[in-house]
Amino acid sequence: MTEMVARRGYRGESVPEAIEAVHTELDSLWEDADFVPEMDRMTFTTAVIEAASNIVQHAEPVAEAPVELGVDISVWSTRLVARVTAFNAKEPFASPPETGLPDDDSESGRGLALIEALVTTVTFERQDATNTWILTRNSTSAA
Amino acid sequence: MQFSYEVKDSYAEVKGSGRLNMVAAPKLREVVAEVVAAGSSKVVVNLEETVFMDSSGLGALIGCLKAARQAGGDLRISGVQPQVRMVLELTNMDRVLTSYPTAEAAFSDD
Repeated sequence: MTEMVARRGYRGESVPEAIEAVHTELDSLWEDADFVPEMDRMTFTTAVIEAASNIVQHAEPVAEAPVELGVDISVWSTRLVARVTAFNAKEPFASPPETGLPDDDSESGRGLALIEALVTTVTFERQDATNTWILTRNSTSAA
Repeated sequence: MQFSYEVKDSYAEVKGSGRLNMVAAPKLREVVAEVVAAGSSKVVVNLEETVFMDSSGLGALIGCLKAARQAGGDLRISGVQPQVRMVLELTNMDRVLTSYPTAEAAFSDD
């Protein structure tokens, strides 16, 4: 993980339309890092969109200012890293997050399980009113 | 994401083109609800041009499946692309949402 090859970022109000903007940034990132295998692009894109959607759906503002979504994605020679952040947000876990998959007829609750299946590591950090999920995936190909 | 639908002899085909994410998921629910309310409870969602689906999109498909079954029909999917297949398999929902190569094949054995 010595050299960063490409990077994209997004910051804006935490609304559904932001998800489309993040997806556009990801598509543009892969154009700059075309050595990343299709499987890694597909899995990492899915994980980043799940993490960002989770913020848009569930993050609650800590004060009057609205929650903002931030996404910083970088491609390193053998690793993909994304920092997906909720700014101005409350502590997300009132209770420990549920793990595993819900019943077959449940219409929600699969996002976290999906993220865990798609990336190598998931780390959560909270500082001040900022929650950050750091996703990494070891890429199968070197630059 | 763009949706369109066409009522055929024995089923209705809903086509979705683009990304089935949290923006598109409510639209899919609306389109399928409209199709079922109009009397077509056998629904095929043609995903040939759906290049991406997340858990919100998957949740919408499950909701639509339940709506079709409550109306006495079923919902099946066709033309599933690699990313959508990956999400279905990782969530084990490929067992619940039956996938067919084409929309025509989905209800051909009924």
